[in-house]
Amino acid sequence: MALLLRTHYKLARTAIKENRTRSFLTCLGIAIGIASIILILSLTGSISRLISNEVSSIGSDLIVVRPSTSKDSVTSIVEELTSANSFNKSNLAVSDVETISKIEGVTNVAPIAVSINTVTDDENTIASASVLGTTPEFINIEPLTLKQGTFISDKNKENSVVVGHMLSLLLFNTSNPIGRTLVFHEHRYIVVGVLEKIDKSINFDNVDFDNALIMDINELEKNVGALQVQQINVRAANTDSLAEISSKIKDELVAKKSGDTNFTVSYGDNISHPASTLLNIISGMLAAVAGISLVVGGIGVMNIMLVSVSERTHEIGIRKAVGASSYNILMQFMFESLILSVFGGIMGLILGYVLAFLISIITPFQPYISWQIFVITFCTAVIVGIVFGIYPALKASSKNPIDSLKHL
Amino acid sequence: MKSDNTIIELKGLTKRYGYGDTESFALKDFDLTIKRGEFIMIMGPSGCGKTTLLNMIGMLDRPTSGEYILNGENVAGISSARQARLRAKKIGIIFQDFNLIQDLPVIENVALPLVYVNRPRTVRLKSASEALSRFHLSEREYYYPHQLSGGQQQRVAIARAIVSEPEIILADEPTGNLDSRSSNIVMEELKNIHEEGNTIIMVTHNPALTVYATRVINMLDGQIDTDIKTVSDQNLPQPINVKIKKNKKSKEKK
Repeated sequence: MALLLRTHYKLARTAIKENRTRSFLTCLGIAIGIASIILILSLTGSISRLISNEVSSIGSDLIVVRPSTSKDSVTSIVEELTSANSFNKSNLAVSDVETISKIEGVTNVAPIAVSINTVTDDENTIASASVLGTTPEFINIEPLTLKQGTFISDKNKENSVVVGHMLSLLLFNTSNPIGRTLVFHEHRYIVVGVLEKIDKSINFDNVDFDNALIMDINELEKNVGALQVQQINVRAANTDSLAEISSKIKDELVAKKSGDTNFTVSYGDNISHPASTLLNIISGMLAAVAGISLVVGGIGVMNIMLVSVSERTHEIGIRKAVGASSYNILMQFMFESLILSVFGGIMGLILGYVLAFLISIITPFQPYISWQIFVITFCTAVIVGIVFGIYPALKASSKNPIDSLKHL
Repeated sequence: MKSDNTIIELKGLTKRYGYGDTESFALKDFDLTIKRGEFIMIMGPSGCGKTTLLNMIGMLDRPTSGEYILNGENVAGISSARQARLRAKKIGIIFQDFNLIQDLPVIENVALPLVYVNRPRTVRLKSASEALSRFHLSEREYYYPHQLSGGQQQRVAIARAIVSEPEIILADEPTGNLDSRSSNIVMEELKNIHEEGNTIIMVTHNPALTVYATRVINMLDGQIDTDIKTVSDQNLPQPINVKIKKNKKSKEKK
């Protein structure tokens, strides 16, 4: 049996070698599909890695509460793409912060609510700054460092703000704006601190801190009205009771919201899943495109195999006449399409990583290499080979030997 | 009645094409018993069912009804996978237009049947090389079929037919595409194979070739018209202790 398989493999290889150009082009079709899958896996992998590195740098005692949408995914995609605010419709409220902070074992709680709004200085106007509303405890949870000044505190939170590095430059043309004032919704605020340059727009908070204006959440709510809490970060007293605390948080919130469970409480590695559904949507769309190109590549394989079968009808007749069974013929052609698609898969793997490397030159996404990606690639290639090779192979094997012999 | 050396028995073999008004029979209630060691020539006008008969015996085609008993086993209804296995082991087929695979060198063509009886590659090539040397084609092993003359190609095809040491050789007008000289060479080779005890069933249009036969069957409209045996059953060459391989190089001619 193994002997026969090896023979089939050799036969198929010979057939492929005889049609080098054709086989190469067919492989290329598969390679492009596989390369785009590699690219997506590498990108999403490197994004999760960025975030999980960040989470582990914050410490393992973090619990994150996020709203989850109960709507079907199509509506949420549309909403995501059309809404000016890049966060979900949330059922978390500012008052939830207090509920959580009363739970035993919780040391710090800080909500995150982002509003895109106009911020003006005497000279400059930033039309769409991310204004982040939170509590003074925020600085105890986040890995943020202040370049200058202090974070907002309970004493001065009614009229102070902290600005990000980039925002400071844009708004005040200086990286040291302490003591200057800015206008937000006709209220004047004093800048009390500037954040250190972070240069990491992807993080588990889904906030670009370099371009953010941070103020007290109550102050923000007063100005913009109804506010959506995008995330609540909780720091626990110790890491052992994370599961216990998070289930307590869940119970308390469900009780408070009279049974509404449209939120998630996560800790540890689960946090590192990209917070933004936009990111999910983009990678989903890329995956769909990759899937389509893989299908197109697969159809290419099928097409070439059908041509090959019809070109070799006479040969099939001869083989059957000298004792090949239908199964033998089936395997011969299956091996041919498998070799094409696996070889295409290998080409795609190389191409994908070359592209991932090129992307890493201009973005912070380092190519992400893991054995899972290799396994996924190999399995995909094999599945494509089988799925798109089975029909031509069946067609070949079911040929009538007498008619095939007449076919020249 | 049924002697030990019966190799093929056909009982009421029928092949029908079409139904009702368009119904026609390529074979109709065909009965035939073939003994081991016979060299049968089947003659008859075009369309009398000669080739259909040969295809039936070679299990390339299935009868509409009737029995085909090969070595005591009715093979008319067995699965095509089993038929393929039997074909690989017991039957060698020679065609009028050689039917060699043009993309493969001569030696690979000859070795082809051995692929399907699971022989390792080295064994295949060795057997193929021996079979080719028997037909004086040793120097042509790595030629491609189109580089050979018709007679040479047909000898390659014969080498392919005997390489797996089958019991039955089927030949469908093997000299039909050859000039008389090549024709004679091919017939001499078949005669030698026959003398080693192989059963040969050959379809031909050429009455001159019947001198090689031990039995001549004339067919008409899917049935036997005349059936003449020129050699009695007792005098048929028998394969006992005779192996094709062992007789190689004992032959003359080139």
